[in-house]
Amino acid sequence: MRLRGSDLHTLAGAYALDAVTDADRARFERHLAGCEACRQEIRGLREATARLAAASAVQPSAAFREATLRAAGRTRQLPPVVRGRAAAGPARRRLARRWWLPGLVAGVAAALAVIAVVTGLIGPAARHQMDPAQLRNHTIAAVLNAPDATMLTAKVSTGGTATVVMSHRVDALVFMAAHLRPLPAADRYELWLMGPRGARPAGMLPAASRAGMVGPMVVSGLAAGDRVGLTVEPAMGMRRPTAPPLLDLRLTR
Amino acid sequence: MTEGRDKPAGAAGPGPGAGPGPDADLAALLSRVARGDERAFELLYERVAGPVLGVVRAVVRDPAQSEEVAQEVLLDLWRTASRFDAGRGSGVAWVMTLAHRRAVDRVRSEQKNTERELRAALSAIAYDEVTEAVETRLERERVRRCLASLTGLQRESVTLAYYGGYTYREVAGLLGVAAGTVKTRMRDGLIRLRDCLGVE
Repeated sequence: MRLRGSDLHTLAGAYALDAVTDADRARFERHLAGCEACRQEIRGLREATARLAAASAVQPSAAFREATLRAAGRTRQLPPVVRGRAAAGPARRRLARRWWLPGLVAGVAAALAVIAVVTGLIGPAARHQMDPAQLRNHTIAAVLNAPDATMLTAKVSTGGTATVVMSHRVDALVFMAAHLRPLPAADRYELWLMGPRGARPAGMLPAASRAGMVGPMVVSGLAAGDRVGLTVEPAMGMRRPTAPPLLDLRLTR
Repeated sequence: MTEGRDKPAGAAGPGPGAGPGPDADLAALLSRVARGDERAFELLYERVAGPVLGVVRAVVRDPAQSEEVAQEVLLDLWRTASRFDAGRGSGVAWVMTLAHRRAVDRVRSEQKNTERELRAALSAIAYDEVTEAVETRLERERVRRCLASLTGLQRESVTLAYYGGYTYREVAGLLGVAAGTVKTRMRDGLIRLRDCLGVE
Protein backbone atom coordinates (compact mmCIF):
# COMPACT_ATOMS: atom_id res chain seq x y z
CA MET A 1 0.00 0.00 0.00
CA ARG A 2 1.35 3.38 -0.90
CA LEU A 3 1.32 5.51 2.18
CA ARG A 4 2.64 8.67 0.70
CA GLY A 5 0.58 10.56 3.19
CA SER A 6 -0.06 7.98 5.88
CA ASP A 7 -1.71 10.68 7.93
CA LEU A 8 -3.98 11.49 5.01
CA HIS A 9 -4.70 7.84 4.46
CA THR A 10 -6.33 7.46 7.87
CA LEU A 11 -9.01 9.84 6.54
CA ALA A 12 -10.41 6.96 4.46
CA GLY A 13 -13.17 6.13 6.95
CA ALA A 14 -14.22 9.73 7.50
CA TYR A 15 -14.14 10.30 3.74
CA ALA A 16 -16.35 7.29 3.04
CA LEU A 17 -18.81 8.57 5.64
CA ASP A 18 -18.81 12.09 4.14
CA ALA A 19 -17.53 13.21 7.55
CA VAL A 20 -14.96 15.58 6.08
CA THR A 21 -14.98 19.26 5.20
CA ASP A 22 -14.81 20.26 1.55
CA ALA A 23 -11.13 21.13 2.00
CA ASP A 24 -10.33 17.73 3.52
CA ARG A 25 -12.30 16.05 0.78
CA ALA A 26 -10.35 17.83 -1.95
CA ARG A 27 -7.05 16.92 -0.30
CA PHE A 28 -8.07 13.31 0.08
CA GLU A 29 -9.27 13.05 -3.49
CA ARG A 30 -5.91 14.31 -4.73
CA HIS A 31 -4.35 11.58 -2.62
CA LEU A 32 -6.77 9.00 -4.05
CA ALA A 33 -5.83 9.88 -7.60
CA GLY A 34 -2.35 8.50 -7.03
CA CYS A 35 -3.18 5.56 -4.77
CA GLU A 36 -4.88 2.51 -6.26
CA ALA A 37 -4.89 0.68 -2.92
CA CYS A 38 -6.76 3.61 -1.36
CA ARG A 39 -9.34 3.58 -4.14
CA GLN A 40 -9.85 -0.11 -3.49
CA GLU A 41 -10.33 0.54 0.18
CA ILE A 42 -12.80 3.35 -0.41
CA ARG A 43 -14.78 1.07 -2.70
CA GLY A 44 -15.17 -1.48 0.05
CA LEU A 45 -16.05 1.10 2.67
CA ARG A 46 -18.65 2.66 0.39
CA GLU A 47 -20.33 -0.73 0.06
CA ALA A 48 -20.56 -0.79 3.84
CA THR A 49 -21.98 2.74 4.13
CA ALA A 50 -24.51 1.90 1.40
CA ARG A 51 -25.88 -0.80 3.73
CA LEU A 52 -26.25 1.79 6.46
CA ALA A 53 -28.47 3.69 4.04
CA ALA A 54 -30.45 0.59 3.12
CA ALA A 55 -31.07 -0.04 6.80
CA SER A 56 -32.76 3.32 7.19
CA ALA A 57 -35.19 2.86 4.30
CA VAL A 58 -38.66 4.38 4.64
CA GLN A 59 -41.67 4.08 2.36
CA PRO A 60 -42.15 7.21 0.25
CA SER A 61 -45.70 8.36 -0.42
CA ALA A 62 -47.53 7.63 -3.65
CA ALA A 63 -47.56 11.35 -4.41
CA PHE A 64 -43.80 11.50 -4.10
CA ARG A 65 -43.45 8.59 -6.49
CA GLU A 66 -45.71 10.13 -9.05
CA ALA A 67 -44.05 13.55 -8.85
CA THR A 68 -40.59 12.03 -9.20
CA LEU A 69 -41.43 9.83 -12.17
CA ARG A 70 -43.21 12.72 -13.85
CA ALA A 71 -40.26 15.05 -13.28
CA ALA A 72 -37.88 12.49 -14.76
CA GLY A 73 -39.96 12.37 -17.92
CA ARG A 74 -39.42 16.11 -18.29
CA THR A 75 -35.69 16.08 -17.54
CA ARG A 76 -32.99 15.86 -20.16
CA GLN A 77 -30.33 13.25 -19.48
CA LEU A 78 -26.59 13.76 -19.59
CA PRO A 79 -24.65 11.98 -22.32
CA PRO A 80 -21.95 9.52 -21.22
CA VAL A 81 -18.43 10.82 -20.81
CA VAL A 82 -16.73 9.72 -23.99
CA ARG A 83 -13.17 10.82 -23.42
CA GLY A 84 -11.06 12.88 -21.10
CA ARG A 85 -11.10 12.28 -17.41
CA ALA A 86 -12.57 8.99 -16.30
CA ALA A 87 -16.19 9.29 -15.34
CA ALA A 88 -16.37 10.85 -11.95
CA GLY A 89 -19.41 10.65 -9.74
CA PRO A 90 -22.39 12.70 -10.77
CA ALA A 91 -21.84 16.42 -10.75
CA ARG A 92 -22.60 17.94 -7.43
CA ARG A 93 -24.49 21.15 -7.24
CA ARG A 94 -23.78 23.21 -4.19
CA LEU A 95 -26.98 24.12 -2.52
CA ALA A 96 -26.59 27.71 -1.59
CA ARG A 97 -30.02 27.96 -0.15
CA ARG A 98 -30.07 29.14 3.42
CA TRP A 99 -32.14 27.25 5.82
CA TRP A 100 -30.63 28.24 9.08
CA LEU A 101 -33.06 28.87 11.85
CA PRO A 102 -36.38 28.45 10.05
CA GLY A 103 -35.30 25.17 8.49
CA LEU A 104 -33.87 23.86 11.68
CA VAL A 105 -36.90 24.84 13.66
CA ALA A 106 -39.16 23.22 11.11
CA GLY A 107 -37.01 20.11 11.22
CA VAL A 108 -37.08 19.77 14.94
CA ALA A 109 -40.75 20.56 15.11
CA ALA A 110 -41.51 18.11 12.35
CA ALA A 111 -39.58 15.37 14.09
CA LEU A 112 -41.59 15.98 17.21
CA ALA A 113 -44.81 16.32 15.26
CA VAL A 114 -44.21 12.81 13.97
CA ILE A 115 -44.24 11.64 17.55
CA ALA A 116 -47.47 13.51 18.08
CA VAL A 117 -49.08 11.99 15.01
CA VAL A 118 -47.94 8.51 15.90
CA THR A 119 -49.53 8.81 19.30
CA GLY A 120 -52.64 10.24 17.71
CA LEU A 121 -52.55 13.33 19.84
CA ILE A 122 -52.10 16.39 17.76
CA GLY A 123 -53.97 19.62 18.26
CA PRO A 124 -54.88 21.56 21.36
CA ALA A 125 -58.21 19.75 21.72
CA ALA A 126 -56.32 16.65 22.74
CA ARG A 127 -54.10 18.47 25.22
CA HIS A 128 -55.97 17.30 28.26
CA GLN A 129 -55.43 13.67 27.27
CA MET A 130 -51.68 14.03 26.94
CA ASP A 131 -49.32 12.45 29.36
CA PRO A 132 -46.46 14.67 30.52
CA ALA A 133 -44.03 13.42 27.88
CA GLN A 134 -46.53 14.06 25.08
CA LEU A 135 -47.37 17.48 26.44
CA ARG A 136 -43.68 18.25 26.59
CA ASN A 137 -43.16 17.20 22.96
CA HIS A 138 -46.21 19.17 21.98
CA THR A 139 -44.90 22.29 23.70
CA ILE A 140 -41.44 21.90 22.19
CA ALA A 141 -42.97 21.66 18.73
CA ALA A 142 -45.19 24.68 19.42
CA VAL A 143 -42.26 26.81 20.61
CA LEU A 144 -40.01 25.84 17.73
CA ASN A 145 -42.80 26.42 15.24
CA ALA A 146 -43.95 29.74 16.67
CA PRO A 147 -43.61 32.75 14.38
CA ASP A 148 -41.91 34.66 17.19
CA ALA A 149 -39.48 31.85 18.10
CA THR A 150 -36.13 33.33 19.09
CA MET A 151 -32.92 31.51 19.81
CA LEU A 152 -30.52 32.77 22.47
CA THR A 153 -27.25 31.31 23.64
CA ALA A 154 -24.90 32.10 26.49
CA LYS A 155 -21.86 30.64 28.16
CA VAL A 156 -22.24 29.04 31.56
CA SER A 157 -19.59 30.61 33.79
CA THR A 158 -18.24 27.28 35.04
CA GLY A 159 -18.08 25.82 31.53
CA GLY A 160 -20.48 24.80 28.81
CA THR A 161 -23.13 26.55 26.75
CA ALA A 162 -26.82 27.10 27.26
CA THR A 163 -29.26 27.47 24.37
CA VAL A 164 -32.81 28.75 24.72
CA VAL A 165 -35.52 28.90 22.11
CA MET A 166 -38.36 31.05 23.40
CA SER A 167 -41.78 32.15 22.25
CA HIS A 168 -43.97 34.68 24.03
CA ARG A 169 -46.89 33.56 21.94
CA VAL A 170 -46.62 30.02 23.28
CA ASP A 171 -45.56 31.45 26.64
CA ALA A 172 -42.80 28.89 26.98
CA LEU A 173 -39.16 28.27 26.28
CA VAL A 174 -37.08 25.23 25.41
CA PHE A 175 -33.77 24.98 27.24
CA MET A 176 -30.74 22.95 26.25
CA ALA A 177 -27.18 22.86 27.50
CA ALA A 178 -23.97 21.30 26.28
CA HIS A 179 -20.75 20.34 27.99
CA LEU A 180 -21.62 21.52 31.47
CA ARG A 181 -19.03 20.82 34.15
CA PRO A 182 -19.92 17.48 35.80
CA LEU A 183 -21.16 17.78 39.39
CA PRO A 184 -20.67 15.58 42.45
CA ALA A 185 -23.54 13.14 42.98
CA ALA A 186 -25.13 15.20 45.77
CA ASP A 187 -25.54 18.27 43.54
CA ARG A 188 -27.62 19.08 40.50
CA TYR A 189 -28.03 22.03 38.21
CA GLU A 190 -31.31 23.84 38.81
CA LEU A 191 -32.93 26.11 36.27
CA TRP A 192 -34.67 29.36 37.28
CA LEU A 193 -36.80 32.06 35.80
CA MET A 194 -35.48 35.13 37.52
CA GLY A 195 -37.87 38.08 37.34
CA PRO A 196 -38.06 41.46 39.01
CA ARG A 197 -40.06 39.87 41.84
CA GLY A 198 -37.62 37.06 42.50
CA ALA A 199 -36.66 33.67 41.14
CA ARG A 200 -39.11 30.86 40.29
CA PRO A 201 -37.78 27.30 40.08
CA ALA A 202 -37.95 25.98 36.52
CA GLY A 203 -36.76 22.43 37.01
CA MET A 204 -33.74 20.30 37.74
CA LEU A 205 -31.51 19.54 34.77
CA PRO A 206 -31.44 15.85 33.87
CA ALA A 207 -28.15 14.03 33.55
CA ALA A 208 -26.16 14.74 30.39
CA SER A 209 -26.29 12.32 27.47
CA ARG A 210 -23.21 10.43 26.39
CA ALA A 211 -22.46 13.31 24.08
CA GLY A 212 -22.60 15.82 26.93
CA MET A 213 -25.98 17.25 25.98
CA VAL A 214 -28.71 18.18 28.44
CA GLY A 215 -32.35 18.67 27.53
CA PRO A 216 -34.42 19.74 25.78
CA MET A 217 -36.35 21.01 28.83
CA VAL A 218 -39.60 22.93 28.61
CA VAL A 219 -40.36 25.90 30.85
CA SER A 220 -43.79 27.52 30.67
CA GLY A 221 -45.14 30.74 32.13
CA LEU A 222 -42.80 33.52 31.05
CA ALA A 223 -43.13 36.97 32.63
CA ALA A 224 -41.88 40.37 31.50
CA GLY A 225 -38.28 41.01 32.48
CA ASP A 226 -37.49 37.33 33.08
CA ARG A 227 -33.97 36.03 32.85
CA VAL A 228 -32.97 32.39 32.68
CA GLY A 229 -30.62 31.42 35.48
CA LEU A 230 -28.77 28.29 36.44
CA THR A 231 -27.35 27.41 39.85
CA VAL A 232 -25.83 24.37 41.52
CA GLU A 233 -28.16 23.13 44.26
CA PRO A 234 -28.59 20.06 46.44
CA ALA A 235 -29.93 17.20 44.29
CA MET A 236 -33.48 17.35 45.69
CA GLY A 237 -33.87 20.92 44.38
CA MET A 238 -34.55 24.20 46.17
CA ARG A 239 -37.45 26.65 46.15
CA ARG A 240 -35.05 29.62 46.05
CA PRO A 241 -31.53 29.78 44.65
CA THR A 242 -28.93 29.30 47.36
CA ALA A 243 -25.90 29.85 45.15
CA PRO A 244 -24.86 32.57 42.71
CA PRO A 245 -26.17 32.05 39.16
CA LEU A 246 -23.76 30.52 36.66
CA LEU A 247 -25.87 31.78 33.80
CA ASP A 248 -27.85 34.97 33.37
CA LEU A 249 -29.65 34.99 30.07
CA ARG A 250 -32.06 37.84 29.45
CA LEU A 251 -35.16 36.84 27.48
CA THR A 252 -36.33 39.07 24.70
CA ARG A 253 -39.54 41.03 25.09
CA MET B 1 -36.45 2.59 23.11
CA THR B 2 -33.52 0.36 23.77
CA GLU B 3 -35.55 -2.73 24.44
CA GLY B 4 -35.31 -5.35 21.75
CA ARG B 5 -31.94 -4.08 20.54
CA ASP B 6 -30.25 -7.13 21.93
CA LYS B 7 -32.72 -9.74 20.81
CA PRO B 8 -31.14 -12.51 18.78
CA ALA B 9 -31.19 -11.74 15.11
CA GLY B 10 -33.19 -13.51 12.44
CA ALA B 11 -36.14 -14.53 14.59
CA ALA B 12 -38.48 -13.33 11.88
CA GLY B 13 -38.29 -12.55 8.20
CA PRO B 14 -36.94 -14.42 5.22
CA GLY B 15 -33.61 -16.20 5.30
CA PRO B 16 -30.30 -14.88 4.02
CA GLY B 17 -30.19 -14.07 0.36
CA ALA B 18 -33.71 -12.67 0.30
CA GLY B 19 -34.36 -8.97 0.05
CA PRO B 20 -33.03 -6.87 -2.81
CA GLY B 21 -31.75 -8.90 -5.71
CA PRO B 22 -28.11 -9.04 -6.73
CA ASP B 23 -26.41 -5.82 -7.54
CA ALA B 24 -25.92 -6.85 -11.16
CA ASP B 25 -29.61 -6.06 -11.65
CA LEU B 26 -29.13 -2.55 -10.45
CA ALA B 27 -26.15 -1.98 -12.74
CA ALA B 28 -28.18 -3.32 -15.67
CA LEU B 29 -31.10 -1.09 -14.73
CA LEU B 30 -28.83 1.93 -14.58
CA SER B 31 -27.55 1.28 -18.06
CA ARG B 32 -31.12 0.99 -19.36
CA VAL B 33 -31.99 4.21 -17.56
CA ALA B 34 -28.98 5.86 -19.21
CA ARG B 35 -30.61 5.12 -22.54
CA GLY B 36 -33.75 6.98 -21.55
CA ASP B 37 -35.88 3.94 -20.66
CA GLU B 38 -38.62 5.35 -18.41
CA ARG B 39 -39.89 1.90 -17.45
CA ALA B 40 -36.37 1.06 -16.23
CA PHE B 41 -36.38 4.25 -14.19
CA GLU B 42 -39.62 3.16 -12.58
CA LEU B 43 -38.02 -0.15 -11.62
CA LEU B 44 -34.97 1.69 -10.35
CA TYR B 45 -37.27 3.89 -8.31
CA GLU B 46 -38.89 0.86 -6.71
CA ARG B 47 -35.50 -0.46 -5.74
CA VAL B 48 -33.86 2.64 -4.33
CA ALA B 49 -36.46 5.29 -3.43
CA GLY B 50 -37.03 3.88 0.07
CA PRO B 51 -33.36 3.75 1.09
CA VAL B 52 -32.67 7.10 -0.61
CA LEU B 53 -35.48 8.85 1.25
CA GLY B 54 -34.53 7.01 4.43
CA VAL B 55 -30.93 8.11 4.48
CA VAL B 56 -31.78 11.66 3.47
CA ARG B 57 -34.39 11.80 6.20
CA ALA B 58 -31.97 10.46 8.80
CA VAL B 59 -29.61 13.34 8.07
CA VAL B 60 -31.95 16.19 7.11
CA ARG B 61 -34.82 15.34 9.51
CA ASP B 62 -37.42 17.74 8.17
CA PRO B 63 -39.83 15.60 6.09
CA ALA B 64 -40.58 18.27 3.49
CA GLN B 65 -36.94 19.15 2.93
CA SER B 66 -36.04 15.48 2.91
CA GLU B 67 -38.49 14.80 0.12
CA GLU B 68 -37.06 17.72 -1.80
CA VAL B 69 -33.50 16.45 -1.46
CA ALA B 70 -34.51 12.83 -2.15
CA GLN B 71 -36.30 13.89 -5.30
CA GLU B 72 -33.20 15.78 -6.46
CA VAL B 73 -31.18 12.63 -5.85
CA LEU B 74 -33.58 10.42 -7.79
CA LEU B 75 -33.69 12.88 -10.67
CA ASP B 76 -29.91 12.96 -10.63
CA LEU B 77 -29.92 9.21 -11.07
CA TRP B 78 -32.08 9.65 -14.13
CA ARG B 79 -29.98 12.52 -15.43
CA THR B 80 -26.54 11.08 -14.79
CA ALA B 81 -27.11 7.32 -15.12
CA SER B 82 -24.72 7.33 -18.07
CA ARG B 83 -21.91 8.33 -15.71
CA PHE B 84 -22.28 5.22 -13.56
CA ASP B 85 -19.23 3.01 -14.00
CA ALA B 86 -19.67 -0.54 -12.71
CA GLY B 87 -15.89 -0.88 -12.66
CA ARG B 88 -15.68 1.62 -9.84
CA GLY B 89 -18.14 0.11 -7.39
CA SER B 90 -21.62 -1.31 -7.13
CA GLY B 91 -24.79 0.42 -8.21
CA VAL B 92 -26.08 0.49 -4.63
CA ALA B 93 -22.93 2.21 -3.42
CA TRP B 94 -23.11 4.74 -6.23
CA VAL B 95 -26.73 5.60 -5.50
CA MET B 96 -26.36 5.77 -1.73
CA THR B 97 -23.14 7.77 -1.89
CA LEU B 98 -24.92 10.33 -4.02
CA ALA B 99 -27.90 10.43 -1.66
CA HIS B 100 -25.85 10.75 1.49
CA ARG B 101 -23.56 13.41 0.02
CA ARG B 102 -26.55 15.46 -1.05
CA ALA B 103 -28.15 15.22 2.37
CA VAL B 104 -24.93 16.25 4.07
CA ASP B 105 -24.48 19.16 1.67
CA ARG B 106 -27.94 20.34 2.55
CA VAL B 107 -27.45 20.34 6.30
CA ARG B 108 -23.97 21.79 6.20
CA SER B 109 -24.69 24.75 4.00
CA GLU B 110 -24.69 27.92 6.02
CA GLN B 111 -24.76 26.41 9.43
CA LYS B 112 -24.12 28.39 12.54
CA ASN B 113 -22.87 27.36 15.91
CA THR B 114 -26.15 27.76 17.69
CA GLU B 115 -27.86 25.53 15.22
CA ARG B 116 -25.11 22.99 15.63
CA GLU B 117 -25.77 22.92 19.31
CA LEU B 118 -29.45 22.38 18.88
CA ARG B 119 -28.89 19.64 16.37
CA ALA B 120 -26.35 18.11 18.69
CA ALA B 121 -28.81 18.21 21.54
CA LEU B 122 -31.29 16.33 19.43
CA SER B 123 -28.85 13.90 17.91
CA ALA B 124 -29.44 11.38 20.64
CA ILE B 125 -33.07 11.29 19.58
CA ALA B 126 -32.06 10.89 15.96
CA TYR B 127 -29.82 7.99 16.78
CA ASP B 128 -32.51 6.22 18.74
CA GLU B 129 -35.05 6.69 15.98
CA VAL B 130 -32.66 5.26 13.47
CA THR B 131 -31.74 2.28 15.57
CA GLU B 132 -35.36 1.69 16.34
CA ALA B 133 -36.23 1.80 12.66
CA VAL B 134 -33.50 -0.77 12.10
CA GLU B 135 -35.65 -3.49 13.63
CA THR B 136 -37.84 -5.25 11.17
CA ARG B 137 -36.39 -6.28 7.91
CA LEU B 138 -33.54 -8.67 7.42
CA GLU B 139 -31.22 -6.08 5.97
CA ARG B 140 -31.80 -3.87 8.96
CA GLU B 141 -31.27 -6.78 11.27
CA ARG B 142 -27.95 -7.63 9.64
CA VAL B 143 -26.75 -4.06 9.80
CA ARG B 144 -27.85 -3.80 13.39
CA ARG B 145 -26.07 -6.99 14.30
CA CYS B 146 -22.90 -5.87 12.55
CA LEU B 147 -23.06 -2.43 14.16
CA ALA B 148 -23.30 -4.21 17.49
CA SER B 149 -20.03 -5.98 16.76
CA LEU B 150 -18.19 -2.64 16.68
CA THR B 151 -16.66 -1.15 19.80
CA GLY B 152 -18.75 1.57 21.42
CA LEU B 153 -16.54 4.35 20.13
CA GLN B 154 -16.37 2.90 16.62
CA ARG B 155 -20.13 2.58 16.49
CA GLU B 156 -20.83 6.04 17.82
CA SER B 157 -18.28 7.57 15.46
CA VAL B 158 -19.77 5.81 12.44
CA THR B 159 -23.44 6.41 13.26
CA LEU B 160 -23.05 10.04 14.33
CA ALA B 161 -21.16 10.76 11.12
CA TYR B 162 -23.46 8.83 8.83
CA TYR B 163 -26.90 9.39 10.31
CA GLY B 164 -26.07 12.72 11.96
CA GLY B 165 -24.16 14.23 9.03
CA TYR B 166 -21.33 15.47 11.24
CA THR B 167 -17.68 15.84 10.24
CA TYR B 168 -15.20 13.73 12.15
CA ARG B 169 -14.03 16.81 14.06
CA GLU B 170 -17.59 17.57 15.12
CA VAL B 171 -18.09 13.96 16.14
CA ALA B 172 -14.91 14.27 18.22
CA GLY B 173 -16.37 17.35 19.91
CA LEU B 174 -19.65 15.58 20.60
CA LEU B 175 -17.94 12.56 22.10
CA GLY B 176 -15.22 14.50 23.89
CA VAL B 177 -12.48 12.49 22.17
CA ALA B 178 -9.44 13.61 20.14
CA ALA B 179 -10.17 14.14 16.44
CA GLY B 180 -7.38 11.77 15.43
CA THR B 181 -8.93 9.03 17.53
CA VAL B 182 -12.34 9.47 15.92
CA LYS B 183 -10.75 9.45 12.48
CA THR B 184 -9.09 6.09 13.05
CA ARG B 185 -12.19 4.66 14.78
CA MET B 186 -14.28 5.57 11.75
CA ARG B 187 -11.94 3.70 9.47
CA ASP B 188 -11.57 0.69 11.76
CA GLY B 189 -15.32 0.63 12.38
CA LEU B 190 -16.19 0.73 8.69
CA ILE B 191 -13.66 -1.98 7.89
CA ARG B 192 -15.20 -4.16 10.56
CA LEU B 193 -18.68 -3.35 9.29
CA ARG B 194 -17.66 -4.16 5.73
CA ASP B 195 -16.19 -7.51 6.76
CA CYS B 196 -19.18 -8.35 8.94
CA LEU B 197 -21.64 -7.55 6.17
CA GLY B 198 -19.55 -9.48 3.68
CA VAL B 199 -19.61 -6.69 1.11
CA GLU B 200 -16.58 -5.80 -0.95
